[in-house]
Amino acid sequence: MTLRKRLLGWLADAALILYFVFALFPIAWMLILSLKPANQLFSTYFSFSPTLDGYRTVLGDSEGIPFVRFFVNSLVVSLGAVLLSLVVGLPAAYASARWRFKGSENLMFTLLSFRFAPELTVIIPLFVLYEKLGLFDTYVGMIWVLQLVTLPLIVWIMRSYFADLTPELEQAALLDGYSRKQAFFKVALPLVKPGIAAVSLLAFIFAWNNFVFPLILTSNEAQTVTVGALSFLGGDRPKYNLTAAAALVSVVPPLLLALLIQRYLVRGLSFGAVKS
Amino acid sequence: MIGLRGVRKTYGKVTALDDLELDVREGEFFCLLGPSGAGKTTTLKTVAGLELPDSGTVEIDGKDMRGVEPYDRGVAMCFESYALYPHRSVYDNLASPLRSPRYRVPPERARERIGEVAELLGISGLLDRPISQLSNGQRQRTALGRVLVRPARAFLLDEPLSHLDAKLRQQMRAELKAIGAVRRTTTLYVTHDSVEALALGDRIGVIRDGRIVQTGTREEIWYQPYDTEVARAFGRPRINLLPGTVTGGGFRSVDGKVELPLPAGAALPAQTNPPAQPSPPARVKEGTDVLVGIRPRDLALRGPGHELTGTVYVSEVLGRSVEVTVRLGEQHVSLVAPRADAAGLRPDDPVRVTVRPESLLLFEADRPQCPGRRITP
Repeated sequence: MTLRKRLLGWLADAALILYFVFALFPIAWMLILSLKPANQLFSTYFSFSPTLDGYRTVLGDSEGIPFVRFFVNSLVVSLGAVLLSLVVGLPAAYASARWRFKGSENLMFTLLSFRFAPELTVIIPLFVLYEKLGLFDTYVGMIWVLQLVTLPLIVWIMRSYFADLTPELEQAALLDGYSRKQAFFKVALPLVKPGIAAVSLLAFIFAWNNFVFPLILTSNEAQTVTVGALSFLGGDRPKYNLTAAAALVSVVPPLLLALLIQRYLVRGLSFGAVKS
Repeated sequence: MIGLRGVRKTYGKVTALDDLELDVREGEFFCLLGPSGAGKTTTLKTVAGLELPDSGTVEIDGKDMRGVEPYDRGVAMCFESYALYPHRSVYDNLASPLRSPRYRVPPERARERIGEVAELLGISGLLDRPISQLSNGQRQRTALGRVLVRPARAFLLDEPLSHLDAKLRQQMRAELKAIGAVRRTTTLYVTHDSVEALALGDRIGVIRDGRIVQTGTREEIWYQPYDTEVARAFGRPRINLLPGTVTGGGFRSVDGKVELPLPAGAALPAQTNPPAQPSPPARVKEGTDVLVGIRPRDLALRGPGHELTGTVYVSEVLGRSVEVTVRLGEQHVSLVAPRADAAGLRPDDPVRVTVRPESLLLFEADRPQCPGRRITP
């Protein structure tokens, strides 16, 4: 019996290792690719003379592609989009969780429908509009259009967080002498902090990874890393090593952010607040 | 002081409050008693302004509270779910009202006041703890504390003792009314425990299906219950209700084995129900189906009064007294007698039971969905 158990354990371990290799291989491949010198790009697999030249080129604004600016653009645009969505979306989520008003459900559904319409279906009218309004290739334009990505996510997820919170907590605050606004800021909001952290991270990643909007609605000034990294593939010869280096650099911010707010991702703060 | 006039509240198809009428007087400790789902909590929340009535008015200090926000009503409420702020310590929970724009006091005064209240409720040692580390009983006391720290025009307490263990509950029940703040402040207290209501209430309101069935002092509720449900709600063991009919001289049970003279009207004080309640039928014709109510403590094994004979069914010692269930014809009645009187009683022993006619209560027969009303002699 114990032998069988141990055998099963080993089997499980082996399966896990296999999966681990399978899952990490693309990342390892990218890493290898990014460390290859340009002349060995197409002639080697695992044995080559590693070099950081790829990273140097990508981060050093050479070859006429301002990758660092794209990187900064991505940061500004993604953070801006998430912040705006939080400012607009948190009150919206709270209101829709607490009160049913005329058309509230339709409004919520409309918001959600932004997520299931493919971006490509609206991109041409958007492009024309942006051209006319002078929003083409600007931060404001990008932050605005990314609301289609971040806002529904934040409103819908935060709505369920607020709905989980018993309204009696805010009612208690009202009777303690606080206004409705104070009850929201002092009681409801602190209790959904883990939710805000999780959903912000998710929204940030979605905004960061968005490809279609920056591809069509920016050209140079507000272009982001997703589109920018591909610039290295143009020209007479695709520079896979530079693309790989750029891609790996652009993974860093979401990864750092995830590590930073890890402790908020663990829920359970509001646990035990209310007799169930 | 607190008045609800024709208050109606529905949630979808469910009627929570059905033209509810309620008056709580200045400085009074008023207990609202009813089973779960009767509308007790909705009543409190309507007074607090947390729920808005579909129709009817809520008055506090004679002023219509329509359009007055909860924080402007000056009432404090203790929630059955506690509704403590889970992200704050016990101290900060208690301090919450004292830091609010409406009831702000200087921090030193707040500290002093919180100290007093915590002492009173036996939670002084817990002030630094987060709420999540408290037991249910401790949470309940903290919730009560958050109500008591601040001045209020009225306290609204929703089952504030329900989660304490039996010993602590008894102790707190005794102490609650002695607390200065409670003595000075009009209190509307919601409970499903009739013992609590009898012990605490200056007056008691019995609520059922969103309506107040009866309001009165504990004596009125006890001696003149509005109907069989109210009679059954108070007193353990429960009131004995014998079905039968009215005869020329009194009452005869369905099986004909029990005959009782009907209570003489003079022995009972006059009816003092509020006029809003329909007054019970005044007289009964012969042959009417009725129920006769006898409190177990009004039956005795010896003593003056009308005599009935039966046999012992079962007896149970409750410390100094004994609960004896006696078979009278086809019905069982329970009585509570001093231990000495019941000594040596065995099942199937014949016994003589006495009852004084003036302690009898007469009710209409129960109908489905409609408990029999008491008939005024």
